[in-house]
Amino acid sequence: MQVLISGIMIGSVYAVLALGFSLIWGAARIINLAYTSFYMLAAYFFYVGISLLGLNIFIAVPLSIVIATLIGVSTYKFCLERIRAHDVVVILISIALAFFFEECILSIFGHQFHRVPPFISGYRELFGVRVLNQYFVAFGFSVTLILGLWIFLSRSRIGIAIRATSQDKEIVNLMGISEKRVSIIAMIIGTGFVTISSVVVAPIYVVEPSMWMHPIIMILAIVVLGGLGSLKGSFIAAYILAFSEVAVVNWLPMGAFIKSAVALLVMIIVLAIRPEGLFGVVFEEERL
Amino acid sequence: MFLEVKDITVAYDTALVLDGVSLGINEGEFVSIIGANGAGKTTLLRTICGLMDWEKELMRGMRKEVSNIVIEGDIFFDGEKINKIAAAKRAEKGLILCPEGGRPFRELTVLDNLKTGAFLIKEKQKVQQILEEVYKLFPILREREKQVSGTLSGGERTMLAIGRSLMSNPKILLIDEPSLGLAPRIKEEVFGRIEEIYQAGVTVLLVEQDANRVLSLCSRNYVLSQGRVVFEGTSDKLRGEEKIRKMYLGL
Repeated sequence: MQVLISGIMIGSVYAVLALGFSLIWGAARIINLAYTSFYMLAAYFFYVGISLLGLNIFIAVPLSIVIATLIGVSTYKFCLERIRAHDVVVILISIALAFFFEECILSIFGHQFHRVPPFISGYRELFGVRVLNQYFVAFGFSVTLILGLWIFLSRSRIGIAIRATSQDKEIVNLMGISEKRVSIIAMIIGTGFVTISSVVVAPIYVVEPSMWMHPIIMILAIVVLGGLGSLKGSFIAAYILAFSEVAVVNWLPMGAFIKSAVALLVMIIVLAIRPEGLFGVVFEEERL
Repeated sequence: MFLEVKDITVAYDTALVLDGVSLGINEGEFVSIIGANGAGKTTLLRTICGLMDWEKELMRGMRKEVSNIVIEGDIFFDGEKINKIAAAKRAEKGLILCPEGGRPFRELTVLDNLKTGAFLIKEKQKVQQILEEVYKLFPILREREKQVSGTLSGGERTMLAIGRSLMSNPKILLIDEPSLGLAPRIKEEVFGRIEEIYQAGVTVLLVEQDANRVLSLCSRNYVLSQGRVVFEGTSDKLRGEEKIRKMYLGL
């Protein structure tokens, strides 16, 4: 039961992270390894706002989300956009950015682990399992974001434009859709997703400079398993990996130490056996 | 001139694709560009609608051999110089290209593909109204409405692409080789529909290899060979030019 409940809750958070990543990959066609840096930054801003400055939670939460998202989008606008046709350079620069942000945080806040207070403290019993209230908050936020994204992409004019751009970023120009602008919009939504989840899960975990590492590993494993570019694949793979992670942590001795290894192992196996993942998408430019 | 192209030269690094091409289309005309493979027809259309500039900008960070695209010359549309503005802005002005091979968005349904085409039109009612017109022109698309466009046949895909480019109410429609890879009967149907679009008042610039069929369709023709315009004139005049006909069109 413990595994089932934790799996669903953690899976939803991973799903949000992976969907944001996939959305950016689809529309802007970049592998942004600095993606979870904004997860870390948002958590630190939240920590600064609520613990150091003593801001109200209703101010600290949106403020940290907005600032971290802004930083994320500007790194895209000023560093990645101009070289995005060059995959290898994008990967190198984004990983450099990720370490850059980590070093910045290290030099300001040092190595210490910080804790932030939950939105709602305490816990609740669910089918005999004690679950922190903050998990319910995180779960609620995640489900809202996923449903919201789904409705947005399937119904709205901009949403359809984003999906079209993910398929063929050249042809959308002919429909009067500025592919560059769509990339920015996807970047805002994707980075928004990662910063929102950061703030809602920060009270569950600890805030520390290398907290971006585990999520990006999970995200990469998820998108590889689900098929790069497939939102449906990311969604399903997020739950598969969350369950396997929770199972390893709960059932294996010392499991918590090898949880990233499991995700990486899945990634290696998938790449070796079925490189396109569960629901792989072939992009138009690869087809030509 | 409604659309005027002046002295367009395009080169990929050292390979010259278009060499000083000039042409013009009046409002309400049906003009064709005929030429063999590699004559530069597709590049010309891509230059006119701004995709070459888009590609050039995207490739900025790449190696020189890939990124060194030279585009020179002027393009005027509706009395305005447009060769410095982005491809999406040109589409906004009513200059729409139906690309080679159709290129529908494969994972999107037929309806979503058409909706993408109507991106520039914000009123839902108007979109619905144009959608009805497109369905009237291509009834097969209505039947396939919910189907993912990657599963369509070649002919349906071409019709979807033409339908999609009509969804934004174009002032001028550039069509790049709609007959590509189609069976003769389907090809005939597609040409028939293009003529209907023209009759409905859209200025059409059609690029084709199949010269024979095009001559009976268009009022004026350009023949392109190795990046140069080698002939310009009415279909009758072209039929009279034996040398051009034999050398470039194989008729």
